[in-house]
Amino acid sequence: MNSEDDRETRPVPSGMTRSEANTGRFGMAIFLISLSILFAASIIGYLVVRMRAQLWRTTNLPPLPSGLWLSTGILVACSVVIHYALVQTRRNNLGAARKFLLAASVLGTGFLVNQFVNWLALTAAQMPPTARNLYAFTFYMLTGLHAAHVIGGLVQLGVVTRRSFRGAYTAQYHPGITYAAMYWHFLDAVWVVMFLVMIVQN
Amino acid sequence: MNTVSSPVPPAAAEPGHAPSYLQDGHGIKSWIMTLDHKRIGVLYLISILAAMFLGGLFAMLIRTELLTPAKTVMEAETYNRVFTLHGAIMIFLFIIPGIPAALGNFVLPLMLGARDVAFPRLNRLSWHLYVIGALFAVYSLIHGGADTGWTFYTPYSTTTTSAVVPITFGAFILGFSSILTGLNFIVTIHRFRPPGMGWFRMPLFLWALYATAIIQVLATPVLGITLLLLIVERVLGVGIFDPTLGGDPVLFQHFFWFYSHPAVYIMILPAMGVISELVSTFSRKHIFGYKAIAYSSVAIAFLSFLVWGHHMFVSGQSPMANMIFSALTFSVAIPSAVKVFNWVATMYKGSIKMDAPMTYTVAFILLFGIGGLTGLFLGALATDVHLHDTYFVVAHFHYTMMGGVLMAFMGGLHYWWPKIFGRMYNEKLANIASLMIVVGFNITFLSQFIMGSLGMPRRYYNYRPEFASYHQWSTAGAFLQAIGFILVAVYLIHSLRRGRLAPANPWGSATLEWRCASPPPTENFATQPTAGDPYDLKPLVFDPKLGGFTYRAESAEGVA
Ligand code: HEM
Ligand SMILES: [Cu+2]
Repeated sequence: MNSEDDRETRPVPSGMTRSEANTGRFGMAIFLISLSILFAASIIGYLVVRMRAQLWRTTNLPPLPSGLWLSTGILVACSVVIHYALVQTRRNNLGAARKFLLAASVLGTGFLVNQFVNWLALTAAQMPPTARNLYAFTFYMLTGLHAAHVIGGLVQLGVVTRRSFRGAYTAQYHPGITYAAMYWHFLDAVWVVMFLVMIVQN
Repeated sequence: MNTVSSPVPPAAAEPGHAPSYLQDGHGIKSWIMTLDHKRIGVLYLISILAAMFLGGLFAMLIRTELLTPAKTVMEAETYNRVFTLHGAIMIFLFIIPGIPAALGNFVLPLMLGARDVAFPRLNRLSWHLYVIGALFAVYSLIHGGADTGWTFYTPYSTTTTSAVVPITFGAFILGFSSILTGLNFIVTIHRFRPPGMGWFRMPLFLWALYATAIIQVLATPVLGITLLLLIVERVLGVGIFDPTLGGDPVLFQHFFWFYSHPAVYIMILPAMGVISELVSTFSRKHIFGYKAIAYSSVAIAFLSFLVWGHHMFVSGQSPMANMIFSALTFSVAIPSAVKVFNWVATMYKGSIKMDAPMTYTVAFILLFGIGGLTGLFLGALATDVHLHDTYFVVAHFHYTMMGGVLMAFMGGLHYWWPKIFGRMYNEKLANIASLMIVVGFNITFLSQFIMGSLGMPRRYYNYRPEFASYHQWSTAGAFLQAIGFILVAVYLIHSLRRGRLAPANPWGSATLEWRCASPPPTENFATQPTAGDPYDLKPLVFDPKLGGFTYRAESAEGVA
């Protein structure tokens, strides 16, 4: 990959050799490390509460909805698709890349919609977010926290997709797509861990 | 004479020649929408000084109320709110962002010889978030403020009727601001170091900011989730801290201190970085033990994640946990002492010049020493059971935060003031004010050590008459400090218009920020400077014509 793009460089002194894209990716990585602490703390908190709680899922509450498996499938697919968007961009197949980005946007939205469906199903089964129970509370807290980050990712992905249709990216210059890919892989990984923890603990 | 290879850019010799960043654009918009790290630094400086003023007013209200054992000027409910607001404002709006966001933003790219930080837009966003967070705090204040103490302990914070949600939400937003600043600093230091500046040629202030940034990025998210859980619990009425659901209020303390102990190092590490710069410059000596100071910053950052339980010795956590946390707490004293040793060794046989920055430096070393050593009494289990939640703790953290961080902030503010605004302040008044602040500080808080060890609990509104004289001394000291701070404000503001024009390098430091004009032009450096040893002060000589220091011409090649 060409790391030394000669596009207008950022206003740094002339001695600078690293490219903007490299710096941006590094910044994104730090941001994701910070976010992973947020999720790690949440999951550890979940485990601690789970272990200490005298009351967990009382019999009147439904088990975890099976729709979560569908969510998992959608999100993994999204992550794969966005990877191909990046690969195709690098190979200068910009048309294919656009389609992949569009597909990723659709899948990401689908994930969010499916999460809503899961919540609604639970609410219908006597487990609303205000249910006075730690099993219920922690479930909504974890999935809600993740969904909030999915919303942020969708906004960025939407902008990137639109820009790609306007021809803003090239095989050499596509920071937006790189960031989107990093972020969605991250969301995917977090979700898989979160989901496994919830399954094992219930 | 070899003037060609002189590292001093031509503009630096004549301050005010190139248009400075202060003149580059006028009007409110050119400031609040700026991407220039220097302007963002100044915006931060103004905001945090405003926060400090507000927090200071609350402090004076507290001390006034405590002048007598019973009611003096306010009701108990008001008093609870006043000390909460004092603590929350001072910690989240002043001490944490103080040195990194205000001084660090201004100085970091200059020290690197760079044009700006890696992500100027994030930098601006960080300041905007700071303002939004501050507005939430003000909103809470208008609605009567919170009465929980700055630690927001559950279950009180989830049940009290005071305005807890806005102020915790404000702190939540400030967390984002802090993370963005940290992220920016890490990337900038990795990517923008100039030729000649390997990691071990970095000024120690940058090492300190780097270590701080790592804590900001890794610890602040935990505060975020903690405050979020607290807010959700208050709003929904369910949550993991509620014992009636099988939850655990002590879990809040674990979460809270997992952030807030590292946060005390977010405060003190940059302060230590400032001191490392000042102590070398004003002793006119190379810093002693550079690597030891650099590594100890990283060691402190690492250890800071392992000691949070020392705030919870009496919370009912297991004796085993208590012992581990106690032992780890003692180990933090080692890297702290390494630094103090190296600063004192730097001063040893130096030609010390007691300009205001150095007065604050010496005050820092002394007061931080007291603060750190009294931390050991608190870290020892047997004594902490007695001292916990007394004025001894209050005095301990004021010695570290005010005697430590604030003194370093004041030192750094005076040191970089000429660089930031291009004017010299009145040295004589500065010395008088610093003396008032340091003396007033000790009167205020030494008495708190004594009354704390005699059993005076913190946060109490009424107290037994035998503590009255200690409280009165403490209040008297607080007023002396207040006068000192007002004096500082007066001469600093006066200097903005009337101060002598500052030379590029008034103190004779060797770090890069002194090689551009005072105040710097928007571009910072006309040509990329090459970094040398940041503490090699020998080639710098005082030039009476400039009123500042300049490189001795024949030694220039040693630097380039
Ligand atoms: C050098 C070693 C230090 C040690 C061993 C130490 C130890 C301790 C201990 C054990 C406590 C808990 C006391 C209690 O509540 O019973 C404490 C409280 C505190 N320390 Fe330190 N400390 C040190 C340095 C610092 C520094 C550098 C700062 C800040 C810049 C700081 C800020 C605080 C604060 C804010 C509290 C009290 C928080 C509260 O309860 O409101 N400490 N310290
Ligand atoms: Cu601590």
